[in-house]
Amino acid sequence: MDKIAISGIGVVSPSGIGKRQFWANIKSGRSFVKKITRFDASKYPSHIAGQIDELEKYSTISPRLLKKIDAFSHMALIASEFALQDAGIDIKKENPNLVGIFLGNAIGGWLYAETELRDMYIEGREGVSPYMASAWFPAAPQGQVSIYYGIKGFSKTVVADRASSTMAIGYARKILAKDKLNLILAGGMEAPVTPYALLCCNTYGGLSTDNAHPQEAYRPFDKRRNGFVIAEGAGIVVMESVERAFARGGNILGLVSGYGTTCDGADRINPAADGQELARAIKTALADAKTEAEEIDFISLDGLAVDIWDNSEIESLRIVFGDRLKEIPVSCPKSMFGNLLGASGAIDLIITLLAMEHNLIPPTINLDEPAQNSLNYVRKQAQEHKIKKALAISRGRGGINAVLVVEKP
Amino acid sequence: MDTKAKIKEILINLLKVKPEELKDDVSLQDSIGVDSTEMVEAVIALGKVFGISLGAKEVTKFSTINDIDKVIQSKIAK
Repeated sequence: MDKIAISGIGVVSPSGIGKRQFWANIKSGRSFVKKITRFDASKYPSHIAGQIDELEKYSTISPRLLKKIDAFSHMALIASEFALQDAGIDIKKENPNLVGIFLGNAIGGWLYAETELRDMYIEGREGVSPYMASAWFPAAPQGQVSIYYGIKGFSKTVVADRASSTMAIGYARKILAKDKLNLILAGGMEAPVTPYALLCCNTYGGLSTDNAHPQEAYRPFDKRRNGFVIAEGAGIVVMESVERAFARGGNILGLVSGYGTTCDGADRINPAADGQELARAIKTALADAKTEAEEIDFISLDGLAVDIWDNSEIESLRIVFGDRLKEIPVSCPKSMFGNLLGASGAIDLIITLLAMEHNLIPPTINLDEPAQNSLNYVRKQAQEHKIKKALAISRGRGGINAVLVVEKP
Repeated sequence: MDTKAKIKEILINLLKVKPEELKDDVSLQDSIGVDSTEMVEAVIALGKVFGISLGAKEVTKFSTINDIDKVIQSKIAK
């Protein structure tokens, strides 16, 4: 299958809004995890997060529209605008029937939903905003982005827990490779820093409770790991064929050349401990990219900082890469800002593209003492390295595996 | 405040539109491009503020401010 170009990046994250600010913070290894201040979360077992406080400052969305949409749609709109600007694309000049939107998220628009549910129980039926119906559901951002830009081509929302946006990007590549569309806005958005969503994430049991030390709480692959930290934001990229990107003088940031996905079929929440199915997803992605395992020179890790998740991820890499695993630099930079759940894969991909562009791998922070020494972790500080072909891994509850192969143009 | 001014105030605050966008004799659809969901919200709010029962068929997106004023005046008078 064809390699598809990524020609624009839009990022809304706790570590920065916009590509430049985001990269400056990511390469410095600075943590942006802190105590939640949006509401009183002090009674939750985990009350730390990657929270975005200044969204409005970067937004051109009218108050009339803002009152109708959830924060996750707002973030998707801002990230889409950044991505199109970065790509130098004037959407009005595109054939709207040949532009698509492929976005992923895990939980939907809960800030809007829970506010309205509270009103329903207090004020009754008439207390609920009529916009509730169109604000909360997972495909709402896709709809809002399409309305905002007049996009009318084949589009899709993927809901597959933390693998959602990686799957959306993999699917977008497939559609572009079949020449069905000219251009796709692909990625994901998530806004889980709300009372009910945080409660659900806490109930799941995978969150770090090191509330006293927010910046040190998320420690993937470390001996003292005790779970992940949630975060909000959006990562959206512009995807198009290489020929089209060249023809219009676009700047190709990277090529998506392979995609693989499998299911563990083992447990309601946890992955299979043996890593076999994640290994098969990696092998499928490599075969799709016509790439040998020996060619991979960077791996972006999922890194949930939960024993069974981290260990099975290492197992899968052992299966695929064998002894060479010790040579390949790997990192999990989301330790700096938290896990964006359904949007985490898109953010990981964006970091990988920026690392390729700058020949610099951002670090996994808080990885003071690796629980296993079998991987070549980039930790503490960024490391210079020329990446030609990278692997980006995303996984979701219930054993969902999704893997992308990304190449330097 | 007269009824018409109150109706405008409610719509401006509720729908986040500018005062100059609302015209007395132009339909809400033509003046501010109101959508059906916004109309649901507007009908509920107007009914609440004026203490009347207002139906979705009595005030629609094709209504002008003058039309809405007439409907509300007649209901208040009863």
